[in-house]
Formats: sequence, structure tokens, C-alpha cells
Amino acid sequence: MTQGLSRRQLGITDAMIDAYGETIFRLSNNHQIRRGDPVRDKDFAAIDAHRHELGMSDAEIAARIGLLSAQVTFIRNLEERRRFRTGHYHMLNRLGGGRRFRADRMTPFQDHFRYSEAALGLRAALAFDPERVRCYVERGLWRSDTLRGWIERHARERPDAPAIIDGGRVITYAALGRRVATLAAGLYHAGVRPGEVVAVQLLNTVEHLEGFLALSWLGAVMSTLYMTFREADLAAQLTHSRACALIVPEAIGEFRPAEWALAHRGELPHLRTVIVVGAPPAGAIAHDALAAEARPLPDDLPVPSAADPFLLLYTSGTTSAPKGVPLNSHQMLTNARLGIVEHDIRAGDVVLSAAPFGHLYALYSVQMALCAGAAVLLLPRFTPPDLVKTIAAGRASHVFAGPAHLAACQAANSFAGADLASLRLIVLSGSVVPPDLVRAVGPHLRNGTISQLWGMTELQAGLYTRPGDPLERAATSAGRASPGTEVRIADENGRAVPTGGDGELQVRGPSVFAGYYDNPAATAAAFAADGWFRSGDIGSMDSSGNVTLSGRIKDVINRGGVKYNPQEVELLIERHPAVVQCAIVPVADARMGERACCFAVLKPGAALDLEGLCAFLTTQGVAKYKLPEQLKIRAELPLTATRKVIKSRLAPSA
Amino acid sequence: MSGTTEIDPAAAKAEIIAYAKKRGALVVGVADLAAIERIAPPGHRPSDIMPRVKSVIALGVGGQTQGAWSVPAKAMAYFGSTETRAYSCAYGLSFFIENRFQTPSIYCPPDMDNEAGPRVPMQSLKLHAELAGIGARSLAGDILLHPEFGYMYFASVFTELELPADAPLAENPCPAPSCVDMYRKVGQTPCMKFCPVQCLSGRIDDAGRQAEMHYDMAACAEMTQQYEAVPAVIAAALAAEDAAARTDALFDPDNKMLWYKMSVGSGGLLAQCFECMRVCPIATRAPQADPIRRSKLGS
Ligand code: SF4
Ligand code: SF4
Repeated sequence: MTQGLSRRQLGITDAMIDAYGETIFRLSNNHQIRRGDPVRDKDFAAIDAHRHELGMSDAEIAARIGLLSAQVTFIRNLEERRRFRTGHYHMLNRLGGGRRFRADRMTPFQDHFRYSEAALGLRAALAFDPERVRCYVERGLWRSDTLRGWIERHARERPDAPAIIDGGRVITYAALGRRVATLAAGLYHAGVRPGEVVAVQLLNTVEHLEGFLALSWLGAVMSTLYMTFREADLAAQLTHSRACALIVPEAIGEFRPAEWALAHRGELPHLRTVIVVGAPPAGAIAHDALAAEARPLPDDLPVPSAADPFLLLYTSGTTSAPKGVPLNSHQMLTNARLGIVEHDIRAGDVVLSAAPFGHLYALYSVQMALCAGAAVLLLPRFTPPDLVKTIAAGRASHVFAGPAHLAACQAANSFAGADLASLRLIVLSGSVVPPDLVRAVGPHLRNGTISQLWGMTELQAGLYTRPGDPLERAATSAGRASPGTEVRIADENGRAVPTGGDGELQVRGPSVFAGYYDNPAATAAAFAADGWFRSGDIGSMDSSGNVTLSGRIKDVINRGGVKYNPQEVELLIERHPAVVQCAIVPVADARMGERACCFAVLKPGAALDLEGLCAFLTTQGVAKYKLPEQLKIRAELPLTATRKVIKSRLAPSA
Repeated sequence: MSGTTEIDPAAAKAEIIAYAKKRGALVVGVADLAAIERIAPPGHRPSDIMPRVKSVIALGVGGQTQGAWSVPAKAMAYFGSTETRAYSCAYGLSFFIENRFQTPSIYCPPDMDNEAGPRVPMQSLKLHAELAGIGARSLAGDILLHPEFGYMYFASVFTELELPADAPLAENPCPAPSCVDMYRKVGQTPCMKFCPVQCLSGRIDDAGRQAEMHYDMAACAEMTQQYEAVPAVIAAALAAEDAAARTDALFDPDNKMLWYKMSVGSGGLLAQCFECMRVCPIATRAPQADPIRRSKLGS
């Protein structure tokens, strides 16, 4: 309509619009050209000469081109409407306040909103129960902590304090802040965007630790790969995690992970960038180049929040296929922040992890160190003499290790005469802790003690004994709930078991994961009907809340209807003088349903048969129905990074 | 009746200027009516709405604080437009003239022409102000600049009172010397370079004067004025594939913001985006445009 008349009444045809639309638009004031300064000069001749360029009224245009004024008005408005783009002004949201328009820097919002489909999918996997979220926020448990925030705070408050100790090299908090910001920028300019997953397969090195911190600084997500992973495991995890980049060493023994990844790009559709610590093959990027990035992060990149996913870790999968656990800073850093008080970690302390950074337990120790303003003391690769030497040289106050690490030190007699005076606490976790190990190592610590900790990738630290507890408690119990965490022992029907009774350990709390990434079936199976996480571990709780664990539900052997957990038998077998390590798994049996098969690794030159083993166990008081009925001797057993036996990979028929 | 014969035009003008300044105008001038009538196209001349008009008074109100020029653009979009203050000053002035001189006066309608649509003003306030000598056309899309007061909003009063006309500014402060330097180096002045939709271009002659000014007003309007977004949103809703998309089209946060602005009759992005003026040395740093500098000059 123009002045109440429709297009038809105005006599406007499509041909007229096609013929005059562009001309009318350009002659109107939509495009203005002024030559000289004729109005100020009252140069009427010049004004008249260039009238058409400065923008004519509809009546003037009509008089020039031979249409009616109302027809020009209609067509001009139609052309303006055709050309109009909504949302153009979004650009303004990123201008002003010192930021000026630069054509090369401006991207449309849809390009600026650089969350890939994979990144959004991973965020969506952090689908917490909103009621629980409200509870954690209201109780002050989720407090928006981020690693970046912690580093920046320490860089301000204690710039010269050591943050990382790597042999003789010390990186202060001030230096760490700069190095991590630079590496984050390097990762960004290498194509890594907030929310995207970067897989890392490195030892406990500066590059691994700073890589973790840089990724979280950038808002990206680290997914660790165990050092033992080769082609099949790498392909499976890189595919499932949708990792866009991979950070690897030049070589792991004979294996060259970057070359493998580059050669298999076609099968890894999400992988865009391969970063190598050391000399990169063609097609890969040198880590050193990223660590020397001169360009900063774009200043309009959002600062990551505690709600952003920052880890995607795969469960150690001892009994089933690996599952991806997305975790955010709220969960992990709350758990770490509350943990430092319980583990007595303070600014100036020195924290060492013998466990690999590929495992959440090791990252827990790192998070706590960074929360407290303590230093992370690096032990790139565990050997008993290296551990003892590093503790002494770095004056470690806290060591986070697995029982296997301590057992190896004990076997090598490494603690005798070692300088452990700086140690205030050794925390043990990752697999079943043999009580005798704690009893044997405890006395070596003149100024410290041992804690036992139970955790899972799904929740980080759930239970632990405290440094003030008697050593015997750490020897026999996984401890009591970490702050904010609730635990219960439940029967098969989800009902609470009376104090002291056996049942499944179930957990609820601010660190507990929301669900497995892209695996609804596993997520559904992982939670009880009322939302508690089913750990799959069997245990009992005493009246003080201390939990003693006795095995995994899935490891339970059902022999003719009689169920038992083989864990206690395994611990006894490992006391046998000929045995290094063992695992008992069920073998299908037509008559009994299941029978027990023991896999064992023997000490060099030692021998053992089934009869001898059963005689030994009988002397230890093991009931007849729990005696293994097959014995398989192996040179080694399949182990997780924390040296837990992967029972699902033990095939009794082999 | 008219009392103009008994009124001394020069004295009346002095009173009018004093009144307008008291009401917040920084500069006041009287335009050459004959020139306006000669330049403005038919239908847009003062006599088209006030046949017995004798004088066109133009006034300008400032401007921005130095702090305002440094805020993010989305904030500037809200408080950058000070035109309503100019309008209220002109509105008061028209009452003042009638009351004081018993002569019919109107506050000139600043908005669009009903017949032509929103991109065509009924009257050109810019033309009035320029001929009244209170601003000169800049390379920034003809935005008027004043050598002393920088960047202002303008309003006009038409009156049957005869007043002596002022001359246009003798010199155009645009381009500023620093802009000429920049143009010589990179071919663009600051306003051209930092316009987010690159709707400005032009040429400066060898004497450092404006030779050509090109302004893509359609692109500027798209960027800075949202009235056309309203029907666009409704059209998108009507064309939506399903009910959910239709609801999104109407109720997404961007569009709810439009409804809000319509409901309350205010809001940013109804005038300009200010990026060209933010970088303009005349707009931001002319002696009387910068309150901090002004206080030092005054002290
Ligand atoms: S108001 Fe904004 S879009 Fe318009 S000319 Fe100035 S900078 Fe460009
Ligand atoms: S920045 Fe200001 S003075 Fe310089 S050319 Fe543009 S409008 Fe003129």
C-alpha cells in the first residue's frame, strides 16, 4: 500500500519494478554523493547540477524517469525492504570501549560463535539434575573456581613462588601465568577453539601439565590417552571424543603416534591438528612453536567459566568398554579446593604424583597444588629409585601414588635409608590397597603418614582417610566421604544396608558426573532410580562413616548360587612368595554356572601349581568354595595406567 | 494579528538566542529562508507546512561527555542520541516566541514524511542548521560538525516573526588536519575507516578540503535503525516452517528487544551507531565539545 492504494491500484507491474527498482533506489537518498560543499557556499548552480547524486525526492525521481510519484514511493520502499538484513547491528556488540572496527577482524556473529557441533554436544552431556545444581550453588560448594583464576591469583599474590619443579628447573607462578597464556594463544592460532577436545598422550612432563592448564585457560577440553595406548585404543578414543587436536611425543618406544595419526586422518574425521613435543613429521606442528606464539588470544574470546567442560576422561575400563566422562571445573575444583584442607596442603608445599597425568587421580593432586599455591614436583616416569630421589631432591611434602608404586619401592627396598624427612603425607589410590603395604611403609615416614583414597573418574576423590587418622585405619579403610560428598551402602534393590553390612557403595555430591558422553545406556545403568551414582564397588561402612571396600560387583563369582568376591583371595595369593601379581576371574561352567580361574605373574625363577596354591590358601583360612579351580601363569597381565588388572581382557580359555 | 512591526528583529533574535541557550542549546542561528525554499524539494519546504513562515531558527544541543565516547558501542547506542533534548528545547522556544512576541510559531516536526516512508524526513533539520551557520557537512555522511561544539543534535522552530538571517559557517572544520594526514597516507579518514558497514568514502582535494563525500545511507540505516526489523520479524514468523520456528521468530531475545523498544517508545539503535563520530577529532575534541577541555579553557 502507498497512501491507501494497493500495488494493483497504483498500476505497478513486475516489469516496472524490474526496470526501475535499482535506478530508483540509487537516485533516492539511500545513496548520497556530494561534490564540494555547495550548500554552505549557497552555490545553487552546483546544487542543481548534482541534485540527482545527493538524493532526490520521490516526486523529483518520478519527474525524471516518467513514473508517478506514488509509484516511485512504492517501488523505492519495496527495494529498501528487499535489501534489508535484520541482525546487522550485532556487530555493534563487539565495538566501542576501545575496540574499533577493522574489516579483517570483524566476523559475523555466526562465525564468531565458534562452538562446533561436537563442542555443543559435549556441553550438553553435562546435564546435571537442576535441583542438585541449585543445592551446590546455594551451599557455596560450586564457587566458579577455574584453574586460570587460580593461576592468575597466585601470579599476583606470590609471583616468585615455585609452581612447577622439573628436576633443577623451577617455574614460578608469574612465569607459569605467562607461559600458559602464550601456549593457550598458540593452541588457539593452531585452530583449537573453546569447547573442543584435545587429546594428550604424554608422560608427566612440563608439556603435559602446561598443556592441561593452557587448554583450560582457552576453554578447551583435555582428554588424556594412556601411554600404553596404541593404534586400536587411540583410534577408538579419538573417534569417540571427537578430538580436534592431538598432542603427543615424537615417539613412545618404537611407536610414532604423530605419524600414525597423520597416516590415519581419513578415519579420524574430527582430528585437524597434530602437535608434537620434539621434532614433528611433515603435516604436524611443533609444540615449541605454539609455546612461542607471539600473537595473543583474541580479546573478545570469552573467559572460560567454571561450568564449561574442561576434561573428558575415559574410565579405566577394568571390566567393560571405556566410557567418556565429561567434567567441568565446578565439579573438579570444588572437590580439590575442599580437599586441600583435608589433605593438609598449603602454599609453599610440594606435591608429587607418581600416578600418570592421564589419570584423574594425578590431576587431582595438580588441582590441589594450584589451589593452595603449592608447587607441582614432576616425576616424568616412575621407577622406585627415581621416586625416592625426586622426593628428596624436591623436598616433596605430599606424594600421590598407587599401591603398586609403593609395592615396587618396598620390593626394591628403596625406602631404607632414603631421605623422606620432607614428606607429610603419602596418599594411596587407584587399586586395592594391601593393608600390609601401609603397615610396612608407614614407619619409614618420620614426619608423615599415609592416607588411603578412593575415587573414580566419575567423581574424582570420594572417600579418604585423613592425615590425623591412625595408620591402621589407612591400612584397612578407604576412609570417609570428602567434603560435600554423600555416600551410602545399598543392597541390590537400592535400600540402605545397616551399618557394617556389605552392599554397593553409592555416591551423590558436587563432584559426581552427570552422565557418560554419548552413551545413554551406560548413563542409565550408572545411576540408581533416585539419582545416586552406583560405583560398582562393594563395601561396608562403620559407624564413623569409614568405608572398607571389598571388590567390584562385576568381579563377584557365582559358584552354584554361592556368591563371593575374589578380592580377599587375590590379596592372599599376592602374599605367596612366588607371586608378583594375580587376578581371579569367573569361567563359565555348565554345572556350577561359574568357577574361579586365577591368572598369576610369578617372580623370576619361581614355580607354582594349582595344588600348591590351594594348599597355601587353605593354610591362610580360605574356605573351600573360594579356592581357584584353574591356574594360568602369565608373563604379564593387562594393566591400566594405575596398574590395575584389566580383567575384561583376561580370557580363561587362552 | 501580528506584533512584528513593533518588534526590533535584532533585539528579538537576541532574546530568542538567550532563551534557547538557557534551555540547553549550545548554538542558535537563523537560516536564510529563501535559500531553504530554493534547495529543499517540493513538499519538504518550510512553507509547505507553514505558509506564512518568515524565519527558520535552528538550534543545536550537545553532545557527549568524554566518558560517553569511551563506552562500548551498545551502551553508546542508548545514550548517544540527545535529539529529544534538542526537540524539547525547540518546543519550549516556540511557546516562548508566541508568548513573548505574539507571533505564531511551530516546533518543526523532525520525523519522517507520511507520504514517503521512514527514510524521508518531512523537513531537513540538517539543511536548516547548515544555512543557519551552526554546523557544516562532514565526510561522515553529511553529519553536521561545528568547529567549537563538535557534534550536536539539531532542532528547528518555524515562526512568522521576521528575524535577521545568519550566514553559513565560513569554514568547514571537516576534514580536520589529522584526518587529511591520514587520508594522504591510507586513502581513508577515521570516520571512513572505522564505520562498521563501510558506508563512507570520499575524496579530499589538494588544498585539504572535501572534494567528494559518498554515503551509503541504506547500509547505515540497516546498521543503526531497527524500524524495518519489526515487519521483517513478522514476515519471518509468517513464513516459518512450523509453530516452534514461528514462536522463535517472534520471541527470540533479539526480537523481544524490538517489542520492548516499541512498547516503551525508546531504546538504542534508532539513530546512529556513533562509530564514525567516536573517532572524529572534531566531534570528540573540539574545544567546547570536550567538557574536560572546556573546564580548563574556562578556568
Ligand atoms: S552511524 Fe555507524 S553505520 Fe552510519 S556512517 Fe556512522 S559509523 Fe557508519
Ligand atoms: S573524522 Fe570527522 S573531521 Fe575527520 S573526516 Fe571524518 S567527519 Fe571529518
